[in-house]
Amino acid sequence: MTLQRIIALAWKEWREIVRDRLFFALAFIVPSMLMLLFGFGLTLDVENLPFAVVDHDRSAASRDYTYRFISSRYFDFKGQASDERQLDALLADNRIRLALVIPPRFGERLARGEAAPVQVLIDGTFPMRAQTTQGYVAAINSAVSLDNMAGALSAGRGIPLAEARARVQPVKLEVRYLYNQSVKSIWSLAPKLIMLIMMLSPPFLTALGVVREKESGSIFNIYASTVSPGEFLIGKLAPYVAISFTNGLILWALAVGLYGTPFKGDPAFFALALLLYVVCTTGLGLVISMLVQTQVAAMIVASIVSIIPAVLYSGMLLPLSSLAPGASAIAHALPPMYFTNIVVGSFLKGVGWQALWADMLVLGAYATGLFGLGYLLFSKRPAS
Amino acid sequence: MTAPAIRVEGFTKRYGKRVAADGLALTVQRGEIYGLVGADGAGKSSLMKAVAGVLAFDAGTLEIFGTRVDSARSAEQVKQRIGFLPQGLGLNLYPDLSIDENVDFFGRLRDVPAAELLERKRQLLEMTRLDSFRARPMRQLSGGMKQKLGLVCTLIHEPELVILDEPTTGVDPVSRRDFWAILGKLLEEKGVTALVSTAYLDEADRFHRVSLFHEGKVMGEGTPAELVARVPGTVALFRAEPQAEALPRLKAAFPQTEAMGAWLRVFTEGLDAPHARSAVDKALVGIQPDDWFAREPELEDVFVAMLRQRGAKLESAFPADKRVPAAGTDLAIEARGLTRVFGDFRAADAVSFTVPQGEIFGLLGANGAGKTTVIKMLTGILKPSSGEGRVAGADMRSAGRAIKERIGYMSQAFSLYHDLSVVENIRLYAGIYGLDDARARRRSDWVIGMAGLAGFENDAAGRLPMGLRQRLALGCALVHEPRVLFLDEPTSGVDPIGRRLFWDILFHLSRREGVAILVTTHYMSEAEHCDHLALMYAGRVVADASPEAMKATIAAESGELVELQVDHPVPAQAALRAAGFASATLHGRAVHLLSRDATTDLARLPGLLAEAGVTVQSAALRPLSMEDVFVQRITALEAADRRAA
Repeated sequence: MTLQRIIALAWKEWREIVRDRLFFALAFIVPSMLMLLFGFGLTLDVENLPFAVVDHDRSAASRDYTYRFISSRYFDFKGQASDERQLDALLADNRIRLALVIPPRFGERLARGEAAPVQVLIDGTFPMRAQTTQGYVAAINSAVSLDNMAGALSAGRGIPLAEARARVQPVKLEVRYLYNQSVKSIWSLAPKLIMLIMMLSPPFLTALGVVREKESGSIFNIYASTVSPGEFLIGKLAPYVAISFTNGLILWALAVGLYGTPFKGDPAFFALALLLYVVCTTGLGLVISMLVQTQVAAMIVASIVSIIPAVLYSGMLLPLSSLAPGASAIAHALPPMYFTNIVVGSFLKGVGWQALWADMLVLGAYATGLFGLGYLLFSKRPAS
Repeated sequence: MTAPAIRVEGFTKRYGKRVAADGLALTVQRGEIYGLVGADGAGKSSLMKAVAGVLAFDAGTLEIFGTRVDSARSAEQVKQRIGFLPQGLGLNLYPDLSIDENVDFFGRLRDVPAAELLERKRQLLEMTRLDSFRARPMRQLSGGMKQKLGLVCTLIHEPELVILDEPTTGVDPVSRRDFWAILGKLLEEKGVTALVSTAYLDEADRFHRVSLFHEGKVMGEGTPAELVARVPGTVALFRAEPQAEALPRLKAAFPQTEAMGAWLRVFTEGLDAPHARSAVDKALVGIQPDDWFAREPELEDVFVAMLRQRGAKLESAFPADKRVPAAGTDLAIEARGLTRVFGDFRAADAVSFTVPQGEIFGLLGANGAGKTTVIKMLTGILKPSSGEGRVAGADMRSAGRAIKERIGYMSQAFSLYHDLSVVENIRLYAGIYGLDDARARRRSDWVIGMAGLAGFENDAAGRLPMGLRQRLALGCALVHEPRVLFLDEPTSGVDPIGRRLFWDILFHLSRREGVAILVTTHYMSEAEHCDHLALMYAGRVVADASPEAMKATIAAESGELVELQVDHPVPAQAALRAAGFASATLHGRAVHLLSRDATTDLARLPGLLAEAGVTVQSAALRPLSMEDVFVQRITALEAADRRAA
């Protein structure tokens, strides 16, 4: 193994990446852009839901009820509608997601202590958002009911309002969200985006970089020379690992700086884990490049084997515990899940080696395995 | 005793079921320039890759410098002594790196010490005249420069054996000659052995010895002269009117008969010149041949004869009939001052020519000379900046579909759908041109008969041999019976039999059906088939005449072609150049030069060379080829450009 040849290979590769516009964009622009696009586009918080109200009652009670929704940060009041037909049009146009229909004699029935129905229309095209919306509505509604009951109790028995409230709701929930105190979805998403993007970008870059040489025929320069397979793989892939590692650090900076995600863990530990993960995903690109002959095939295979595990089997969108046993087994067999544990642990939980050594071990095994496989598949004297 | 550079026996290589090389055997001695000559898919590349140690093979033995190469490990032992240039012009180079950086990379990859790398790079770049472009990225180089850079990178570690896979394919004749000159000089100086392949049969005389490849087998091995002597005979070149009647009569007696523009070219196997004359007279039955020339056969004649001996068929798909040749005087194509400007680059500059109905017109020129731009303007794909192109009487700028349907076009890449069967491809084109069902069926049968595709109807187009694929593409371009046919580089990579069948079809179309055919090519031997030629240079038409007239002009301007067989070609060339023969070029063991006073020169040159220590074994006049014409014209123009600059 001579260092001179490895350096020659790496230096040549570096210059090609920097000078080829497509590779340059893929290496230096796409990862950060994905972070911005996903970060701003994939917010799972349901807030500022536009809604309208048809108030057939027009009493103090109905105005009070409506006001509870208007003052909530989860809802965005778009105005009163004259009748239900108008609501249909607003919902169909996506101008509102939710509508309340308050029937005539709403206030009167409440005053008499009768049950008063309120119709809620929710746009159900997005089930998750619809369910969340329904939860908000139910919560506000029960708060209103409780207040009404407490008010009645306080007035009837002559006890202070606070005491009446306590009697109405004897068990009070005190919820504290750990690790992500304000339950901002971006705090949870940004670290996982590092996992996702570092799963997509390095295999693409690497597979295209190697297959490009196969397609053009310049790989024969390697085959025909005395460069050893090890020298070639190290020289060829070192720039990709370096670029991807740097990208990972940039994404980390974006997560912390732009999205305000707290980073509570050990930076040195995280950097090491990132490097290991990048080596792992670069190795995945290497194995792909050994199995296909054209850049188009490399792109298709790389997108399938990277996107699916990173999105579905990583714990990014769905918690792993909610996966079916089969899916869970798949998730455990693929590297993204382990790095998800590491990013979430490092960012939000502030844990390190002690909690995550097993995940590191798996990533290390993966990196070794993929590079070993790539090395075995690489032949300087192939059969075709 | 030193082992030969390469010894191959029983070499067999299969790709799946396809046998690419079938029991090949050959031996290359040290210091030889050894040629592998054959069409695409003949097995040349497989053998070369195996010799370079970059391809495993199925059976046979391979020894390089006495080392048996049978595994990746043993291949590794000889790699430092080998330089390999794979097929594809400049494809193994790195387009984003400059000339300098490319050479440096190859040098470092091959462990060339820094000081030596610097010195060798300087020498090689100087020799290839690339030194003034060192900082230019490889992607901006011309074809000829890429090819030379490829050679420099292959030689940078001073290998003892270089393997060059089709280094001259896709390069214009001027750059090709330049390349051979540089290669010959380098190899001679360094005592390097070379294994070089080419698809151009007329390049065989560049080698000391050659193997003729055909469909995975070696058809013959030896010096070019030995190979030509394998099948004795005479090539007769003459005119005979009416040509369309003379051709079928001659074909019946001599299968290797070709029409070359207004001329007929007949290979009379086994006959000397006088017997050839009487045999041709007899076959012509009453038609009198004019302008008779008898010549020695060329390697291609011999190669085709060998293939025929092994059963290859050269029968015309068009039996002799009583059809009256279409009398064509109407102009089919007219280019009048066609100009196309891209930014400040004039891709076509006031191009004018005419092609009457029934003529085969050749548009020649190097890559980038403007041939494709002209074709695009004539087919209405590209609007001219000024001037006009008329096809079948209509201005192509405003021509409607009706006119476009009278045009057939076949591109370089044979625009076929590889996954569709033969019939499906034909039917698809019939559908595109709006043929009704009955006509589509009739034309489909015609194409299959014409192209010799019977029995292949349901095969995928991508699996056909090159020759058949080419004729299928031609058939698809002809499915709607166009009156004007455009062919863009139609015959690259096809074997000689396929080429002959192809030209036979074109000849029939032009003579019997009156179709006007415009062909672009940089295969100079093909240019000889055309009735008329236009030579393009830097967007302009610089010569416009029949092939014979072009040759006559060059002979009058620059002299006749003299071939000297010598014992030491490189010093001979140097001595001749010093004596004022700037045209002296290396052809294997021979030197070619142009002489204005051939009789005197033939007498004095042996003495002149003896002073330089070179013995002349033979000296003879040779007929000028179209390649000689092309190279003379273009080098003169390039020289004039340099003076102007």
